Amino acid sequence: MSDLARVEGEQQGTICLVRVHGEIDLSNAHEVSSEIGVAMGQEARRLVVDLSDITYLDSAGVALLLRLAERLRSRRRQLQLVVPRGSPVRRVLDFTGLPRVIPLESRLEDALALRDHPLPDEFP
Amino acid sequence: MATREETPKAPPDALVNAATAHPWSYAAGVLLVAVAYYTAAKLGLRLALVGRNITPFWPPTGIAVVAFLVLGRSVWPGVALAALVVNLPITTGVLPAAATAAGNTLAPLVAATLLAKVGFRREIDRLRDATAIVFVGALLSMSISASVGTGVLVASGALPADELPGSWAVWWAGDAMGVLVVTPFVLSLVQPWRRPGRPRWKHLEAAVLFALIAAVSVVAIGADPHLMFLVIPLLGWAAWRFQQRGAAPAALLVVVVASWAAAKGIGPFRAGTMLEKMLILQAFNATVAFCSFFFAALVSERMQAHQALERAAAGLEARVRQRTSQLTEAQQVAHIGSWEWLIPQHRVSWSDELYRIHGHVPQEFPVTFETAVDQVNTEDAARIRSNTEAALRRADDHDLPRIEYRITRPDGAERVLLGKAKVYVGPNREPLRMVGTVQDVTEARKAEREHRIAETLQRGLLPDRLPEVPGIGLAARYVPAGAEMAVGGDWYDVVELPSGRIGLAIGDVAGHGPRAASTMGQLRMALRAYALEEPSPAEVVRRLDRLVSRLLMSEIVTLVYLVLDLDSGMVQFANAGHPPPLVVRAGDQISFLEDGLGPPLGCDDPGLPAEARFRLVPGSTLLLFTDGLVERRGTSIDEGLQRLATVAMDCGQDIEAFCDQLLCSMVEDDTADDVALLVIRPLPLTGRPLLRVPAEPRVLAPLRQTLRRWLRESDADPHVANDILLACGEVCTNVIEHAYGAKEGPLEISLDVRDGTAEVTIRDQGSWRPSSGVHGGHGLPLIQELMESVELAGGPDGTVVRMRRRVSSRSDS
Repeated sequence: MSDLARVEGEQQGTICLVRVHGEIDLSNAHEVSSEIGVAMGQEARRLVVDLSDITYLDSAGVALLLRLAERLRSRRRQLQLVVPRGSPVRRVLDFTGLPRVIPLESRLEDALALRDHPLPDEFP
Repeated sequence: MATREETPKAPPDALVNAATAHPWSYAAGVLLVAVAYYTAAKLGLRLALVGRNITPFWPPTGIAVVAFLVLGRSVWPGVALAALVVNLPITTGVLPAAATAAGNTLAPLVAATLLAKVGFRREIDRLRDATAIVFVGALLSMSISASVGTGVLVASGALPADELPGSWAVWWAGDAMGVLVVTPFVLSLVQPWRRPGRPRWKHLEAAVLFALIAAVSVVAIGADPHLMFLVIPLLGWAAWRFQQRGAAPAALLVVVVASWAAAKGIGPFRAGTMLEKMLILQAFNATVAFCSFFFAALVSERMQAHQALERAAAGLEARVRQRTSQLTEAQQVAHIGSWEWLIPQHRVSWSDELYRIHGHVPQEFPVTFETAVDQVNTEDAARIRSNTEAALRRADDHDLPRIEYRITRPDGAERVLLGKAKVYVGPNREPLRMVGTVQDVTEARKAEREHRIAETLQRGLLPDRLPEVPGIGLAARYVPAGAEMAVGGDWYDVVELPSGRIGLAIGDVAGHGPRAASTMGQLRMALRAYALEEPSPAEVVRRLDRLVSRLLMSEIVTLVYLVLDLDSGMVQFANAGHPPPLVVRAGDQISFLEDGLGPPLGCDDPGLPAEARFRLVPGSTLLLFTDGLVERRGTSIDEGLQRLATVAMDCGQDIEAFCDQLLCSMVEDDTADDVALLVIRPLPLTGRPLLRVPAEPRVLAPLRQTLRRWLRESDADPHVANDILLACGEVCTNVIEHAYGAKEGPLEISLDVRDGTAEVTIRDQGSWRPSSGVHGGHGLPLIQELMESVELAGGPDGTVVRMRRRVSSRSDS
């Protein structure tokens, strides 16, 4: 397994929690994406991706998250991100307008506590 | 050829030497000489012609000459005494007797001295010896005794003065005859028999011969003087068959008979005056003596020459035999055979070794050109035939092109032979002879092929070039073993890990040849695979250990594996029985990394290799090497390490030059072991560093690590540093994705910090438009958001992005 980024999955009822550690760039974005897919399993209705331990993420990572959201949407599943306030990743995500497309929480507990909510109508 | 020793010349004081050295044997010698002289004199006087004391044959002089030649001149008192005793009764007083005795002593002394001077040899087996004794020993020297003796007779009144010339002649001739006849005879008696085991019939022949000579002499001289010539062929017989040993006694016998006849006045000496008798007798005696001497000496000389020739021929033959056997042995050792083809005679001869090379018993069958070529494999035989035909057409002496060809032996074994040949032509330029050598090079070709395979394997297995790692200088060398030209199992590798860190490995598979090289290749690939999966060096080493144990590799395998973090300079490493890496820190501090050491791989040692770490700070140099660098015949490995530390102290600015310097100082030309070394040096990021990497996704992580180090060393605020890092990542990603399409190309990043503002310039040699890059078109706006200024310039030579951002509040100018 590449140790630029590490992916750990955990099933919590209908929620699948995936923690990603490390750095995501062009060199490993594709690999991380498929590892998240593997970790998610078939049963989960909702996927929470915790990016708290990500130290670097650029537009290649943003593209990865957008593709992931799109894929889940086609299967009627939800994606939620957890990015702490002040994280270097947050600035990139905010700038690219990603939170408008993918629900984003600062704390993991908040993300897990959320009920299923309807999908946003608009998708850029 | 051996020469017989010349008779040693007597030293000047020989007259007294023997007397003082061995008094008893000397006295015995003197006595013996005196008795012999006296006896001979008494016999000689019976033949006296003039009065009582002048005799035509005076044997004592011969005895005296022999005594001086054999016993030395120091025995002269014996001669003098005996001569005095002999002369006393036949002269008129003591004084004349003493004077005559002195003359009789002096003459043989002079004769012996002169003979020694001219190198006379007692064997009288050369013509010059015969000449010497006749002219010097007899005729010249004996004039002394004749002059003294007759002078005394006249002076003492015993002889009338007018008879002096005749008497002188008789005296002189008598003494001379004594020397001529007696000296060779006695000398021939005292010579040791040179050829023992002389056949019995030879003795019989001698007996018959001497009986004949005696009979013929007595009959011819005593009865019928006309038959005197009959003794001549008999003398010849004696000289021819027995040389001096036969000639001397024969001459003596004849002379004695003739002198006796003259003394008694019988036979030819019946009539005539004394002078006439004298002349006839002396002429006869001289003829006999000369004939026998010269003939014997001639035969001896001829025989010696013949023997010398025989010895030389035998020596030559022995040498030829020895050389031939040496040549045969040399051919056998070198596996080189030779052949000769006598072209007009259609005859080919092979050396023994050539038969063996072809798998036959030496000289098993006769060879012709055709049978020889028939043994060669078909495809090569045609080549040999055409070479030979071309050589025979060319009408001069020349070498044929050397040719390598294959034969199949009767037992089916195929051999590779190297043939060299030369053709010689005759006076009309017609080909006469062709000679050549054939060397069995099967083993050599096999070894060469193996070596080539192994070397190709090793070169193929080692990295053909080192990766370009931003912020790090890398240099490596591999030197195959010089002495045996065998390829070894030393290897090194640099692995760009997915984490952006760099894996560095160096290892040694014991042994040489394709096997070691192939084991090394497997290990290197296994290490790469494990390194990509596993961040911990100790764990990578542990997995390799398990692999080596499972694969039952019999070789001893050592390696040290390190992981370098480009940002922090932290190095984690584990060592499996390998020589410790060397670190040269700024200020020439040398240390060996002796931590993290475990046993070599595959030792079934349960102990996990320990993991150690250290920080490779900028300005330091890390050297990984194999034992070939520090091992030298006759010195311990500790001495080698010590020497390495001394050489590495002065590692200089350029790491390529450092590698050359290390090899030059540490490795001998004929090193028994191969050598691998890998040098790693973090480049200084001060000034305006330039990072140059291939435009590929895998360089992004190490680039970020190096940029982090640069930003940290430039005292950048951490938040600002993150923005710059992100902006650079965006630009580099665009270059990698869009600048070169499917082709490869470089990516250059130059860094500069001035007045608290960082400037990053990223160049490529391709073409891309920022708007086309980055998903959702976020690229350029994001970069502009992150940096204070962004300039973009695209052209045919590539695209340049220059970005600036203030990194700290204080000014560095």
